[in-house]
This record gives sequence, structure tokens and C-alpha cells, in this order.
Amino acid sequence: MTYIQAISDALRLEMRRDPRVFLLGEDVGVYGGAFKVSLGFQEEFGPWRVIDTPLSETAIVGGATGAALMGLRPVAEMQFADFISCAWDHLVTVAAKQFFRGQTPIPIVVRLPSGGGFSGGPFHSQNPESSFAHIPGLKIVCPATPHDAKGLLAASIEDPNPVLFFEHKHLYRRIKGEVPEDRYTVPFGYANVHRPGDDATIVTWGAMVHTATEAAGELAKEGFEAEVLDLRTLIPWDEERVLEGVQRCSKVLVLHEDTRTGGFGAEIAATIAEEAFEHLDAPVMRVAAPDMPVPFSPPLEKAFIPQVEDVVTALRQLAAY
Amino acid sequence: MVSTGTQTEVVMPQMGVSVSEGTVTKWLKQVGEPIGRDEPLLEISTDKVDTEVPSPAEGVVAQILVAEGETVEVGTVLAVIAPAGSVVSEPADEPEPEAASEPEPAQPEPAPEPEPLAAAAQPAPVATEPPPPAANETPAGAPEAPAPSGNGKTFISPVVARIAAEHGVDPAAVPGTGTGGRVTKKDILSYLQSPAPAAAPPPATAEPAVAPAAPEPAVAPVAPEPEPEPVAAEPAPVAAAAPPVVPVPTRAAPSPPPVPAAPAPVSVPAAAEQPAVLVPGEMFEPMTAMRRGIAEHMRRSLDTSAHVTSAIEVDMSRVVALRRKLKPEFEANHGVNVTYLAFIARGVVETLKDYPWINGEIRGEQIVTRGYVNLGFAVELADGKGLIVPVLRNAETLNLLGIAKGVADIAQRARDKKLLPDEVQGGTFTITNPGGYGTFHGTPVISQPQAAILGTYAVVKRPWVVQDEMGQDVIAIRPMMNLTLTYDHRLVDGALAGRFLRDLRERLETWDEAVY
Amino acid sequence: MAVREAEPVGSLQEVKEAGLDREDLLAIYRHMLMTRAIEERGHILYKQGKIPGSFYTGRGNEGTAVGIGTAMGPNDVGTPLQRDLGVHITRGLEPWRIFAQYMGREDGPTRGRDGNVHMAAPELGLHPMVSHLPAMLPVATGMALAFKIRGDRRVAVGWFGEGAAARGDAHESMNMAGVRQLPIVYVCDNNQWAYSTPTYLSYPVEHIADRAAAYGFEGVVVDGTDVLAVYREARRAIEKAREGGGPTLLECVTLRMEGHAVHDDAFYVPKEMFEQWAAHDPIERYRSWLQDHAGMNDDEESDITAAVKRILSEALDRADQSPMPDPASLAASVFASPEDLDTPHHK
Repeated sequence: MTYIQAISDALRLEMRRDPRVFLLGEDVGVYGGAFKVSLGFQEEFGPWRVIDTPLSETAIVGGATGAALMGLRPVAEMQFADFISCAWDHLVTVAAKQFFRGQTPIPIVVRLPSGGGFSGGPFHSQNPESSFAHIPGLKIVCPATPHDAKGLLAASIEDPNPVLFFEHKHLYRRIKGEVPEDRYTVPFGYANVHRPGDDATIVTWGAMVHTATEAAGELAKEGFEAEVLDLRTLIPWDEERVLEGVQRCSKVLVLHEDTRTGGFGAEIAATIAEEAFEHLDAPVMRVAAPDMPVPFSPPLEKAFIPQVEDVVTALRQLAAY
Repeated sequence: MVSTGTQTEVVMPQMGVSVSEGTVTKWLKQVGEPIGRDEPLLEISTDKVDTEVPSPAEGVVAQILVAEGETVEVGTVLAVIAPAGSVVSEPADEPEPEAASEPEPAQPEPAPEPEPLAAAAQPAPVATEPPPPAANETPAGAPEAPAPSGNGKTFISPVVARIAAEHGVDPAAVPGTGTGGRVTKKDILSYLQSPAPAAAPPPATAEPAVAPAAPEPAVAPVAPEPEPEPVAAEPAPVAAAAPPVVPVPTRAAPSPPPVPAAPAPVSVPAAAEQPAVLVPGEMFEPMTAMRRGIAEHMRRSLDTSAHVTSAIEVDMSRVVALRRKLKPEFEANHGVNVTYLAFIARGVVETLKDYPWINGEIRGEQIVTRGYVNLGFAVELADGKGLIVPVLRNAETLNLLGIAKGVADIAQRARDKKLLPDEVQGGTFTITNPGGYGTFHGTPVISQPQAAILGTYAVVKRPWVVQDEMGQDVIAIRPMMNLTLTYDHRLVDGALAGRFLRDLRERLETWDEAVY
Repeated sequence: MAVREAEPVGSLQEVKEAGLDREDLLAIYRHMLMTRAIEERGHILYKQGKIPGSFYTGRGNEGTAVGIGTAMGPNDVGTPLQRDLGVHITRGLEPWRIFAQYMGREDGPTRGRDGNVHMAAPELGLHPMVSHLPAMLPVATGMALAFKIRGDRRVAVGWFGEGAAARGDAHESMNMAGVRQLPIVYVCDNNQWAYSTPTYLSYPVEHIADRAAAYGFEGVVVDGTDVLAVYREARRAIEKAREGGGPTLLECVTLRMEGHAVHDDAFYVPKEMFEQWAAHDPIERYRSWLQDHAGMNDDEESDITAAVKRILSEALDRADQSPMPDPASLAASVFASPEDLDTPHHK
């Protein structure tokens, strides 16, 4: 099934098995969600489990927090990940800190259609994971495959902490994969080897996993085998597996679609430098979008989002170093 | 605020999160006056507000420590209340606000920085990484980066440095395929695994691209364990292996012109130059990486320095006696076996203080001397795998016990392949023991870029002419050891070498336990 | 829907109709006294350096807080603010734990992780406030949403000040509650000063309650110093919500009788205002009313006062015994594990 079908499937299974799970967001009910993730849900679960809210991100996410405190398991949808900034205050101020100061867990999931590549422009294409990764108390999940999307969404709903679930919308219908029918979960903090290799390790997540895989395929023709390590979750992230890759390959490329400065790749690179310095045979390389808003026009956007050629070039530099 | 059983301190409160100090504006009670609990004791003024401070205890005002008009930091003790009925002395020096540390409650931060909890970055296991070679050492002649072929060759990445240190390989001996001729991890790993390439290829052109470019620091000396046993030349423990050479895992080699191809004097010996043809009765045996490295270094060293050797005989009676006396104590209290080498090393370090050129180096057109002695010791590796020369840094700061422990430690770690990169480079003088098998003389090869190398030989009981108590010549049996100093005559003249050996002998023969 | 201004409470009979008997009335008095006593003691502790950070009080707001706390049902929930200590007292939070919270001790409700009145007890249905006011208003709205989804006959009460009313969180909360007719009562603690900002610089209409019409529900203004009037209106609004009648915006007007915090001496408040409102001190008013209408005599009164004093003193001693928290415990405090979900309040 496709990536988006896997997400719908996960949600549907959770809502069937646990009556506490409910959806709230803009246009999720009658319309089935802006991307149709919840198509048919209101018919099945009723209007009080698939709730069309006013245009109020703070009330949506804050409302989710309140409902979670009363024992429900809300899944809030932001229509575009970019709009999370409207609820940033609530997430950072209340949801992230509640357990720490009040010992009352906030088991909410906020689903965030993220990423660009289709001329969405500056406000419909961002990958805002890094600012939240910096706030203690929030978990960050970024599946790249249909299998992981389904399993990670179920795990996110199960998790007693606020989880930001970044679903890359450019993968929605473009990526297909084998997905088990039953319910299953994928644990947080475990990276997946999307493609094996010993000459370099590419640490990445989201849509870039596929870009990296294609680029690695190019280099393989030149005798250089790079492994593609899909982190799948950023908070927590699989530091152990990344360091193992560094030790084995001694050459690392960190790749993300988010902008470069302060992107989560910086955290990974710093950790590698601290923990695996003596295993490095080349500097830790980063490929990321340049520091600017996402441009709209296709040639501009193409120059902004890391392309396969960009990764190939970086890999060649690594190989030759 | 602190209540020491009977007395209670009154402190300057923090009136607001950003307030850091307050001013005493008026004392409402004086020393000796009674005061009730919560009764206003003084008035204060801060950036935010003026207010009064209620007394935390009932009793009598025993001390007033801050005068009206004075401004003090939050948490400063302002006054002391004693229980009712106490005798109160005259107020001493008032204007002496005790800078008490802020009492816990006054802290605006409820929790201290969770330092221990934070994932403090752990430095990579094993410490320091070798800085890029080129930067620091520029041995003879060459300017730091070998100009000709680009800088890449001289940069050793962290992983390559680590592997090199672990295996006692000089990265400069490894052919590099990375940028600018840099040695990559792959390069050094395949170098360690490959048999000598030179032997293999038949073609006459003899261009073993392989030729390890090499460089330099080769330490020559030989010998197995630097542990001459007392008397009787017994072969040192560890045997095996023979003589020569040791590849010097010293760091970088600065300079060596990169590489492969033709130039360089010194390409791998023989094998490369001669067609690989066997005559019946002969067999081929591949040269290991280490062997090739050794060959390269020996050749280079002899080509660089003007090797001359001087020898001297030393009466080791005093050292023998002292060693017998100290051995049990050192073993019992410090867990270390004190060897003759320790004594010699200690003597050498002291003597070098007066002969900086012998601890020096020719670098370009300059003579380099130092205030420190990094002492290298030739250590034979097990199974005849070769030799390694670990370096005991700053040996001049160690006494006899320190040197004995240091030597034992690095020798062991050299055998266990647990040396750190720092410990196989930077040596300024080397001691080797060719006499482990009973030989009494030798001419070791200098470890570049050093200026000299000391050889120690078997301690043998010999008849010796000494003076008796009446000043007459008599024959005594004395444990004698030869020492040789092989030195670079470009820098060290025979006279200097002779004086060095004389002074060293003097020290060993008149060893003063108190001094050393 | 016009704003209704509430009438003061008259006789004991009227009060009985509102559901309070004499025991309840005396309990209200005791709670108000305890609230004030704790805050007065807090002042002293703060000046003695025993309370770190800042210290906020709700002097003058005891009537509003205790009135609403009394009107809430046993299974109702709320998100009171820094002027509403009376709600915590009324719902049963022990004074010694309140002191422990102020002093940052291990036995405070937040175990030293948060300070002063940022405390609550989920088992009593109270959830701790956040400094970014009114950040908990959307949360209270979400609680009411949960009740609606499940069909629980429970009500959420969300507090906000007249200053915080200016933020979007207030608008989004009330708008959503109005749309969905959620079982929630929004209480505006209008003490007329947002730090040094007077009401006319905070909002342009006459009453905050005027805004309720824009959200589709009723707005009521009540004299916050009249504890019984507050109780009556709160009770009405809460039961209305419980019956499915949707939200109410209850604006309780008082004067903040002290500075924004203890470090603020409120020089910007005209002296006349203080004098005028001092005459309406909620505790004094209620005391007189009890004497006049409920026959409270001097003995009863002194018993109550003595009891409050004794409890306070014991609470102080007990709180002082509580240790400072151990930094080593911090590591485990950020993320919850599944076991943490199985707590009574999460039902």
C-alpha cells in the first residue's frame, strides 16, 4: 500500500481497538482531511470521534492536551506541518513540560504533513522538526516508508508523551511498500538500514531516505558502497547504531531536507565528532537545504531541496577524500 | 538562614527574581534589644520595592553586621538573634557584612544544573589524537608540507593514526590513495594485510608503485627486551627475533616526499631492483609490511646522519649492589621490577642535561635543543614480529622509581599493542640493548630525526684493575658493561660524545642514591 | 445575550436554596481565613529568604476563589491561577504541601520542579497553571471536550485574568467551546490591574463578560468580594453546563489588594482605590454576614480562628521538615513511561 494508506490504516486500526482514540483538526471530518487521510472515518466513528474544529491551532493542540489529561488519546492533525508554529507556544510551554512539573503524562499525537517538492511555497513545505527536537519533553517521529509509517503511528498513539509525527506529504502517494495487515508497532530510537554498505554511512530520515538510496545506487556503480541509515525517529535517535556505522565505515554523510543551520543534522554531526573522532577517515559531511524559506517556483525549489545529484556529488567527495 | 542551635541569622532576602542586592535603610532594633518572632527588625530597599524584614526568631539582637545605608548581596547575613536571656557583647565592627553564601532557599533556581545527568560528552575512548604531523615536526630539511606533492600526504586522519599506533606502523610508509596522496583507512588496512608486493611482480620496470614512501624516522636499534640481566650474559627474556631494525611508528614523517614512483632514493631494497628469478635451491619469502618499513628506515637513516660510534666500559658494581638492595622494596611497595636499564636511563637523562646537542636535532639549517627528554626504548615484539620504540615522555621529571615504572608500563603496552599515538612519536633520544644475547659491542642505527642512540651490552664479570685501600693496584672481579654512543657527526663531535660517555660512566659508578 | 449583573446574596434562606447549610457556611469562612493566613505567612517567609524566586498572592480574591471552589462538584476539574489559592484550599490541598511547594521542597506537588502557585493536585481535579497566561485555557477546554465526547456529567472550570484575556488562547478556547457547547465555565478574575496595566489599557469594552455574546453564550458580572454571590452564580453556571447548557463566562470583579508580586509595591494604584476596596474586604464582609444572618458568635469565631492558626503552624513545621529535592532525580523526570499513565486522574 502507499505511505498515506498505511497512515490511514494505522489510525483506523487504533480507533477501532481503543475507544479513547479520537481525531481532531481542520477539515478532518466531513472532508476526510485535506489529504484524505481520514476519508470515511466520520462515517465509521461518528462526529464526536472525528471532530472538525475551528481554525484554531492552539485550541486544537491545547484541547488535545486537556482531553489527554482526562484519559482520552487524541490525535490532532495540523493541516500542514508549517501551521504548527501557531501552536508552538502550547506545545513548548504546556505539553512538553507538564510531566516534568506535574507528573501528569500528556499522551497526545500531533500529525504533521511536512516537506516540499511540489511548489508548495514557503508556508506549505517546511520540515520544522529541529526547533521541537530542541525542547525537552517532546518526541519526534519521521517515518520514510509505509511499513514504518503504520507501525510508528501506532507506537506514537501508545506513547505516554507528546509525539510530533511528521508525515512527509511528498511521499504520501509516491512511495509504496509491503505492509502487514495486522496492528504492529515500530519502537522509537531504532534506526533502519535502508540500504547496506561499508564504505560510508548516510544518516538521514523522511523523504531524503529515498534520495539517498538513489544516490548510493549511483556510487555503487563506481565501486563505492554507501549504507543508507534511516533514523525513523529523531527524539529519541539511534545514536548507538549511527556510531557503529561510523566506526565501520569511517566516512559519514548526514542528510536532511530541513535547512542547514541548526538543523538536526548538526546535533548528529556534533555527537559523531565527540564520540567517534578516532574512527573518522574524513570530516563529517552534511547535505541540507540552504538557509532560506522554501521557494515556490520549480527551478528554485529544485535548487533548494537536496537532489540526488547533490548527494551523489557529496558521496564522491567523501569517497575521494 | 541558619539557626545554629541557639542563634539565628537574619539574611538579606531576594525581593524579586532579578534582584541581586538590597540596602539596609533602617534598623528598627539595636543590639541588646529583645525582638519577637515575625516582629519587624529592619527596613530594606531594593530595585523593586522597599519593605521591612520580620525577625525569623524570638530572642535578643546579638549582632548587627550591616550598617544603615550599606548595600549587600542577597543572602548576606545582616544580623544574629540569640535566645532570650543571652548575654550580648558590644557590637563589634559593624560594617563587615559577611559574605555568606546565599542560603539555598534564596536561590531563584530550584534545581541546580543537572550536570551529572546531562549526557556529558565522553571523549572518545583512548585519548589524544595525533595532530597533523606536518604541523609539528619538520625533521631534517623538509619544510613542513612536502611542497612538491601537496599537503594531503602529510595529513593523517584520526582513524589512520589510531590503526597505525595499534600496529606500530609508520603511516608515512604506507602508500596513499586519498586526496593529495593521503593515506586512507583502506590504504593502511590493506598495507597491514598485504605481503610484499615488490617481490611479486616480475616485470623489470621495477616500479613497485608500492614503494612505501617513507620516511624517516626509523629507529634502528635492535634488540630484544631492554633488560640486561645482571652478570652472565643471559639472553633477555623474549627472545626471538633478531636484530635489526624496527619500523618506527613515529608520527609523521614530515616531509618525505610523497612518493611512489620513481624518485626517492631508497626504494625497497633489492627485491624491487632485481628480477624475481629463482635459482634451483632457492625459495622466495615475502617481505612483511613491517620488514619493508624497517628496510626503508635503516637505509634512510644511514643516508641522513654521519654515523660514528664511541664506546666506554663501565664498572657496574655500585649499580649491582644498589639494585640488589632496592629490588625487593620496589617490587613489594610499587609492584615494579627495577632493571639495569632503569638505572642507565636515569643516568642518561641526568647527563643529557649537560649535553643538549646529544638530545637535539638538525632541522633545516638550525640546531634544535629542548628542555625535556622524551626517551625512546627499543622493545622487541613477540614472535619476531619486529621492534617498536615506545617513548617515555618528559623523562627528566622522573626519578629512578618513576622511570622504572614508566619503562615497565610502556614496554608492556607495546607488546599488548595498546600504545597511544603520542607514545610512539616525539622521541628525542633512544636507548637500545643489542647486548641481550651476550654481545659486548655494536653500532646501532640512529632513530631519525634524533642525534644519537645509546647501546647497552651484556654485563660480564671481568678481572679489573682497581686501587686498594693503600692506593695500590690490585685485580678485582667487577661486573663490567660496555656502553656505546652512536651519534650523528654532523652535529656531535667525537670529543663531545666522549665527554658524555665519561660523565655517564661517572654517574653509574658513583651512583648517589640520595640524588637519583 | 446581554450581560447580567448579579445581585448580592441576602438571607440564609436564599443561601439554603443555593444548596449550602450552616456547616458549609462556616467551612467557607474557614477556607477564606486559611487562604489569607497562608498567603500572609508566605509574605513573611519570602522576606526571610525561605521562599526562592517570586511570591504571588491573591489578597482580595478569597471570595471569588473559595466561592467557585465550593460550587465545583467533586468530580469537576479546573485550572486555577495565582490569585486562586482559595480553590486549592477548598478542594482539599493540604496547607503543609502548599508551603513545601513555595519553599521548593521535595514534598511539594511539583517536587521542586516548578515554583510558587504553579501547583495543583490532579487527584483533586486541579491542574497546575503556566506562566504564559492563559495557556491552560485551551487545556480546560480540552477537558470539557473529553467530557462531551464521553458523555460524562462533569464540568471543567478555566480561569483567566482580565489582562490575559487579550491573548489568542482565550479567544480560541471560548470560540471552540461555544461552537461545541462544551461543559465549561470560564472564570475571569478581574482584579482591575494586570501588573501595572489598568483595565482601560487592557480591553476597550466595559466588561470582559461582554465578549461572551460573541462566543454564543451568557456572560455574568458579579461582585467578587461577595463570596456567596460568587458561589451562587458559579453554581448556576456549573450546573447549567452539567445539564448540557453550554459554557458561561463569569467575570468576578475585585481589586488586587497587593502588588503583582511581593516585590511590587503597586505604587501605580491610586490610594483611593485601595481605600475604597479595603472597605469591601471579602473576609470582613462575610464575617459580618455570618454574624448577622447565620448567628455566628464570638466563641465559634475564635474557635475557627484558633483552628486555622494551629493548622498553619503545624503545616509550617511539617513543610520545613521536607527535604530539598535531590538533583539525581532529575534525569528521570522529562519523559513519561507507560506505567505513569495508570494514575487516577487519567480517567
